Amino acid sequence: MQVRIGIFICNCGKSLNNIDFPKVKERVEKFQDVVYVDLSPTLCLKEGREGMLSAIRERDVNRVVIAACSPELKENVFGKALEEAGLNYNFLSMANIREQCSWAHEGDVTEKALELVRMAANKARFLQPVEKKDISVNKEILVVGGGFSGMKSALELSGLGLRTTLVERESALGGKLGEFEGFYGIETTPEEMLSSTRKAVEENGDIKVLTSAEITRVEGQAGDFTVRIRTGEKQVSQSFGAIIFATGYVTKILPQDFELKPEVNIISQRKLVDMLQAPERLERRPGTIGFVLDVSDENSRLPILFTLNNALAVKERLGSEVYVFCKSLKVDSEGVEKLYREARERGVVFLKFEEKPRISKEDGRVKVEARDVLLGEEVTLLCDFLVAEEKVLPPEGTEALSSMLNIRTDSRGFYQDENVHLYPVASERKGIFFVAGCKGDLDFTRTSTDISSAAMSIYKLLSPEKAIVEVEKVKVEPEKCRACLTCVRVCPHGAIQMVRVDTEKEVAKIYDHACDGCGICAAICPAKAIRFEGYADEQILAEVEAIGESL
Amino acid sequence: MNGEDNKIVAFCCEHSAYPVANKAGRMRLHYPDNVRIICVPCAGRVDVQHILKAFEKGAAGVLVMGCQEGACQHLTGNTRAKERVKYTESLLKEVGIDGGRVRMVNLAPDMAQRFIDEVKEMAEKIEGR
Repeated sequence: MQVRIGIFICNCGKSLNNIDFPKVKERVEKFQDVVYVDLSPTLCLKEGREGMLSAIRERDVNRVVIAACSPELKENVFGKALEEAGLNYNFLSMANIREQCSWAHEGDVTEKALELVRMAANKARFLQPVEKKDISVNKEILVVGGGFSGMKSALELSGLGLRTTLVERESALGGKLGEFEGFYGIETTPEEMLSSTRKAVEENGDIKVLTSAEITRVEGQAGDFTVRIRTGEKQVSQSFGAIIFATGYVTKILPQDFELKPEVNIISQRKLVDMLQAPERLERRPGTIGFVLDVSDENSRLPILFTLNNALAVKERLGSEVYVFCKSLKVDSEGVEKLYREARERGVVFLKFEEKPRISKEDGRVKVEARDVLLGEEVTLLCDFLVAEEKVLPPEGTEALSSMLNIRTDSRGFYQDENVHLYPVASERKGIFFVAGCKGDLDFTRTSTDISSAAMSIYKLLSPEKAIVEVEKVKVEPEKCRACLTCVRVCPHGAIQMVRVDTEKEVAKIYDHACDGCGICAAICPAKAIRFEGYADEQILAEVEAIGESL
Repeated sequence: MNGEDNKIVAFCCEHSAYPVANKAGRMRLHYPDNVRIICVPCAGRVDVQHILKAFEKGAAGVLVMGCQEGACQHLTGNTRAKERVKYTESLLKEVGIDGGRVRMVNLAPDMAQRFIDEVKEMAEKIEGR
């Protein structure tokens, strides 16, 4: 098919005064393959668009170059106009002569505008059609982890009309919420919150609960994951459209942090909660309770949340004196600043150290020695119980799971590196989401935001029974592929898999629904077998070549 | 070399550098008009051959502009681009082109001033070649 380029120049309501438009028009008419050039003041409005449509039809234009504002703004609109004129929406190449030319420079920029149009026209010559297609997706969702946030996710999804399967490793739903003594200022106890949520999940017909079950394998891509679930000896494979991981965290006192084994006087938060729930079982009321923070992990917010809640509960139930040793108390999660102020008002004493406190035993009590940097003095405290800081760690199996999913973990081993583009719940693989504790930190208001945003993302991804994708925008040319697996290895979105074409040969295949269109594979392929329509090698090179052509 | 004026080719990532260039325009922050921006979906899409082609066609400098490290939507795109830029530099040195004429720049989507500074710096560099 012969290339017939139509160039439509927009002077943005005659506001781009530093470009000599008649001259541009006259010069671009001489470009190769150009059959029509038009100058309009309002290409984005109805009149301009109609003029463009009739010109495309009359002059039999099959590649459109639009020299106007930034493609960010109107590319979609112009793409739709092309479809109206009976052309593929991809036969459009834009020259940004407003933001990156007229507005960006002083003085006459006609020459630069001309060159930008030339770049776009050069690229237009190599454009190929991209089809859009409906692909059928599975609307069933898998939620891994039957803790509070896992259950909430399943409920939220069922509210959106999506069916879920909830897989829990333990024999019962519940998770870690029960480890909290309570949330200061909230009437409902964690036990009540858990039991009402559990009841709602069990009564919900859209949620299938599998306990004592684990996932052993995940294959496929967004819209069609195949997951193998093991329940006891039995293994079943099932297909899901998307997966939410709410696998939580574990806490542990690390012996190397305290140089002391947890013993009678040095206790965990969990044990303190037990004491608080049954104070009558204590031999005598503890006079002094100390907390130590920021020793094993200075970044985690969870120990602070535990400490403030429990310190307040101690004050209320036991009336003991409470001292908190910390380095820098982080109160940036919602409501924590208020908790901190409340704690101070109730008489909890905060001591700020720089060097790690020395902890030893004396007369059956725990002696903590530290230098308070604000007082500038050595402080020695004898307490009946010292609540040690627990390090928040990823649960067992996280490493295996992340390598199975091909998803990176952060330096502490948790999911969801804080990447601005993925934050808060998305992962580098479409259709896989992480909520709440498994991201390494926990904060209650953020958890509910997490759950809602994951549910909405899934709804967006799967809600029409069929998802519309651009077919083979990035495509492996099978005859060129040497099956070196480089693309499979580098694809950050896990969108490339090998498929067998005949008995001899396997080639890479890119799954449209999982592809995010970065083009890393196209750049790295040693055989240059991957073509990224819109950013194909010949298209980028054509743009580059335009700078050398004399006008 | 072709063409008298010293052109700079800037490969700009559509998630950061391309919007940054637009933002600079909207703020009317003027920068040298010899820069030619080519939009790419990720800095990781830029290949050595694209950069070399720019020099072959007479460009005096090439900028590869991507997102800040750790903030690439495609995780490794910007770090891969950085490696490729480094490799291209070594190739250019072999043929006698000063290595400083190709640079990797990491930008966040609001760093218009930084974008301009980088373009100006490159423009000054090639002016004084």
